[in-house]
Amino acid sequence: MDDVADPAARLSNEERDILHDVGFDDPAARAATGVLADREMRIAEATDPGVEILPLAEALRTYEFVQDLMFGLVSPEANEHVAMVAEHMHDPLGHFVWVKPGAKVRLPVQTFTLLETPQGRQFTHDITLIDEGAEVEMIAGSAVPGSVHKGRHISIGETYMRAGSSCRSVSIEHWGTAMEVYSYGYSRMEQGARSQSTAIMMAPVGQHVSRSHSILEADTNAVSQAIIFSPEGTDRVIETETHLTGAGARSEDMARMVSAGGRIVNNALLVGDAADTNGFLGCDGLKLNDTGEILAVPSLQAIAEGAMLSHEASVGMIDSEKLDYLMASGIEEDAARNLIVQGFLSLDNEAIPAGLRARVVDMIARAKSGGM
Amino acid sequence: MLEIRNLTVAIGDNVILRDIDLHLPEGELHVLLGPNGSGKSSLLATIMGLPPFEVVSGEIIFAGTPIQSLDLTERAELGIGLAYQRPPSLDGVTVRSFAAALGAVAALETEAAALDLTGFLDRDMNVGFSGGEIKRWEVLKLVLQDPRLLLFDEPESGVDLEHVIAVGDAIRRVVGAPDRSGRTCSGLVITHTGLILSHVKADRAHIIKEGRLLHSGDPHELFGHIQTEGYTIPAA
Repeated sequence: MDDVADPAARLSNEERDILHDVGFDDPAARAATGVLADREMRIAEATDPGVEILPLAEALRTYEFVQDLMFGLVSPEANEHVAMVAEHMHDPLGHFVWVKPGAKVRLPVQTFTLLETPQGRQFTHDITLIDEGAEVEMIAGSAVPGSVHKGRHISIGETYMRAGSSCRSVSIEHWGTAMEVYSYGYSRMEQGARSQSTAIMMAPVGQHVSRSHSILEADTNAVSQAIIFSPEGTDRVIETETHLTGAGARSEDMARMVSAGGRIVNNALLVGDAADTNGFLGCDGLKLNDTGEILAVPSLQAIAEGAMLSHEASVGMIDSEKLDYLMASGIEEDAARNLIVQGFLSLDNEAIPAGLRARVVDMIARAKSGGM
Repeated sequence: MLEIRNLTVAIGDNVILRDIDLHLPEGELHVLLGPNGSGKSSLLATIMGLPPFEVVSGEIIFAGTPIQSLDLTERAELGIGLAYQRPPSLDGVTVRSFAAALGAVAALETEAAALDLTGFLDRDMNVGFSGGEIKRWEVLKLVLQDPRLLLFDEPESGVDLEHVIAVGDAIRRVVGAPDRSGRTCSGLVITHTGLILSHVKADRAHIIKEGRLLHSGDPHELFGHIQTEGYTIPAA
């Protein structure tokens, strides 16, 4: 990293603009900021003493315990992509974020990954440790410049939420239109931890496979939602697996999917490993035209007696009565469709920071019109 | 303002309205009376251009323009608006975002207050609204849309007495007054109970029965006749 006092000055205007679309804000208004561009960690800086952010390589050298966190939630041999990332870890690339025990972090922590080289190959590993009793809000984004449409990105994320910690997070991705992206996320929530997460996958991408595996221990509560858009030429496969392993664990997982000609496969598995657990899976799909496909497969597996699990799933087209209703009010058909889609995706909900909502709405409009 | 000539309407092969003639001059408010299933709502939906109603013959002329070949949006842009009897719920689409899409945010707060809907602005449209709230919202929707021809499908049904006054006030305030472009507005209201007649100034009423326009006359006289004689043609 070069030693410029203003962290934002380490980014070009174009880079700031690109990152702005996926949630970037002035580092001075953030508790911590991390920006990884290609293979270079441009920014890793905290303004809040309760947060430490380091390039992963440096974190491994600085803190011995980071070695135990790395591949602590997933085997380096878990699959060919994880193995590929593991093999590149002779020179580890990624963020290490540590929210210190008891820290009540007022401003969000933001981390971003940029792939700027056309046909680039980027393999990253991020580790997040939210320590006992800590509270934090996190914004994560991934993006490419407009000139990059092909390339490959494989990422592993391991998130540790220690007992009594709390995290609200939003992630937004904006990859290239013909890129291959593989994201693997693993998390463990210890007793009493609370999490509210929103994943926004709106921009066109060639193929995106996203797999996540979460372990919820006793008295934890996780509410997650995914907002997924797939225009023509985009293929998304989202697989989630949530294990309720301790009494009192609660989870609510909602996926809202819109296909405008692309394919979305959503396989969600909720497992009640322990008694007195409660979980819900929801998958709602909306198709905007006759091409593309949405496949929603919510699965429940109750292992312990007293695991209360439920799911709801629906897939349909835009209701013509709703469209007519808006059009009869003087709203043009495209604008009426946009309103319905935005409503369906629940973009007004409070889990998305207000400053990001307008950007996401704009992203949908551009994706639908082929302008991205 | 609105001229309907010899209008016959069908859904598929099923004829719903036959040979309707109706003249609504600029600035006037007319009332449609008729039993359930007589075709009143179908007439409003046909004027608005809603599916599945198809004009088999005849003409609908609005402000000098034949509109039967125009689509919904074109009719709305010309200045026609409909307050639905049973509007669909729009999950996730708030009243405020709807107003923004219409470009009517500036008028929203004041008009909502007039209809006692101030607390509704961040609610999803028609989601969890009571019957009376839906009717008030539909009137507010029209006020925001600012059409020249306002079509109300039973605006007072399910509305408590206190709010019937607010609905009537809103209709009275808009119909006969200029729209934002300075053009005088007209209205066509369906009423079953007749309650709204006490709160608006209706110029003429029409009885529709079995898809035909039976008779037209003074709204209060006609409603009085219906209360004693049913939906029949009054003696001359």
